[in-house]
Amino acid sequence: MRATIVDGLALGLRFGLLAAGLTLVYGLGGVLNLAYGQMAVVSAMVVLFGIDAGVGVLPAIGMGLVAGAVLGLIFDLTLLRPVYRRQGESRVLLSLLLSLGAAFMVDGYLSWRYPFRSLSIQIAGGPMNIVGVRLGRGVVVASGITIVVLALLFVLFRFTALGRAIRSVIEDEQGAQLVGISPRRMLRLMLILSGVLAAIVAVTQAMVRPVTVTTGFELTVFALIVTVVGGLGSFAGAFLGGLGLGIIWSFAASHIGNFLSLVILLGAAAITILIRPSGLLGVKE
Amino acid sequence: MSDGFAIATGTSEVGGVERRASRSLIPLIVPILLVGAVLSLAPIWLGESRVLMRVAVRGLAFASYAVGFNLIFGSTGQLFLCVGALAGVGGYGAALLADEAGWPLIPSIAAAVVIASLVGGLLSYVAVRRSLGVIFTGIVTLIFSLTFLNVVHQIGGDAGFAIQSGSGTFLRSATPSYYLMLGLVLVCLLVHGLLRRSHIGWGFRALRDNEVAAELAGINVARYRVLAALIGAAMLGLAGALFAQTRGRVSPTSYEFAEVDVLVLVMLAFGGIGTLLGPILGAIVFTIVGELMVDLGLLRLVAHGALIIALFLWVPRGVIPTIGSALTKRRRRRPTPSQEAALPERVEDV
Repeated sequence: MRATIVDGLALGLRFGLLAAGLTLVYGLGGVLNLAYGQMAVVSAMVVLFGIDAGVGVLPAIGMGLVAGAVLGLIFDLTLLRPVYRRQGESRVLLSLLLSLGAAFMVDGYLSWRYPFRSLSIQIAGGPMNIVGVRLGRGVVVASGITIVVLALLFVLFRFTALGRAIRSVIEDEQGAQLVGISPRRMLRLMLILSGVLAAIVAVTQAMVRPVTVTTGFELTVFALIVTVVGGLGSFAGAFLGGLGLGIIWSFAASHIGNFLSLVILLGAAAITILIRPSGLLGVKE
Repeated sequence: MSDGFAIATGTSEVGGVERRASRSLIPLIVPILLVGAVLSLAPIWLGESRVLMRVAVRGLAFASYAVGFNLIFGSTGQLFLCVGALAGVGGYGAALLADEAGWPLIPSIAAAVVIASLVGGLLSYVAVRRSLGVIFTGIVTLIFSLTFLNVVHQIGGDAGFAIQSGSGTFLRSATPSYYLMLGLVLVCLLVHGLLRRSHIGWGFRALRDNEVAAELAGINVARYRVLAALIGAAMLGLAGALFAQTRGRVSPTSYEFAEVDVLVLVMLAFGGIGTLLGPILGAIVFTIVGELMVDLGLLRLVAHGALIIALFLWVPRGVIPTIGSALTKRRRRRPTPSQEAALPERVEDV
């Protein structure tokens, strides 16, 4: 019982981090990035090639994070230009379709060029005891990194001038513009941040189980589900939704069976959306 | 003076000004029959090649998918990202009812179509009732797609299974199954065409152009949306069921999101969203293109992705309507001011 909860929390933390990158971009710019999982996979491949080239694990991870940032910037500079000229629902729809196209381009190319490649990062040392539950060291390190990153994000949004500027754009784009904040620049920053988050997700994920070249779509879908359950555009919602779904998943997997856990997770997501269309902490539009 | 009246009440119909009050069915029937006639010639020069005939049958199945999706997305703006899943409900439903429950073939296909239709209607009803926007409808239906595929993997295995019923009948031979699927395409087109001409079509156009205004004008938006989803999902289910019968097996991959939905979206975006014959032209073009690119393997996915981006960026109305309106503009070299005003400026929201 306790083991299930701890497992669920560890998974939920990763879900939360996964969703954070997606939800912030949506909340800020009304842009839904369906190529988010592919960003993570490309970063993972950069880490993999770095390790292959013999630069060592930590520098390779650094390269992966830079790659994530660059991907976010490229996405912003290319596909998002026309998207940003639209308003409202038409903008979300166009961003959804264009990023879906980009996702398939990346997926197709990676699985054609590097089939069967996958990144997994081994953390030395045996399992550890956390509140009386034996956890693999990879899970512990991944959860630790995730908690630190989530805390940093929280501090960034709550206590810095940049965070206040970003929140003001989410709150009221025109008002933010009036006090001299450029929503366009904030969105660019946020996309870069979201690319870095995708890379961190890829690295932490690789500590638990291999990240293959075809994981991208799955990651995007999980991010999307967590985001929708937590409320599009809400950082705390992503965190809460991630933890909730992580625990549901881990309960379903241990008590009902692994094969149905995805169905139960999706069902839980669907029910949440139907009861609260704007998500747990979402703002009603 | 009838012309002047038509201009005064000119609608924003895509691809030309709609003439007033021509109630004859000829403008609808002739293009559909023409499509039928052209496509019915295909088996003659595809000859005896079983491979090519199979590709052609698959193309027709996708043409039906595209018409069904067009009715749901193009006519009423509901982004259903579960085209493959609804077709799969038809395919798996019919196969399971016939093989496992021992029903005769035709009732099991009919029942599967009804189930698919009800599932589509339910999704739409939920989306309308909870007033989910385009995006949320897309996400909810995407979740449905994944759930369906997961369930299907559990009950039928990763490789799917062979359908016992219907083996040895005409369904499994190439040319008759081609004509069966062609018939299906034409029926779907006819249904869509008739809907567009009726008061329902006016309702569709009104709610697509401006939902709030339509609601205020007394159009029951919810009912029209659900109706479109019911009919469109029935088309998808029937196409899925018949396609599975002609292949003689059902498998998760033939209803997968990446295999079906993406391609249907490309076909529709190419042919023109919301037009009558666009989906068919898109399906023909991309069946041929897909066949030419067959050696590329996984790179086809790259091409599809690039096409989605290019189409929605540069020709959001669809390639065929864009070419069409360019041609008509050239033909009417000197439009009178009033005609100019009547030429529709399509609102650029996909």
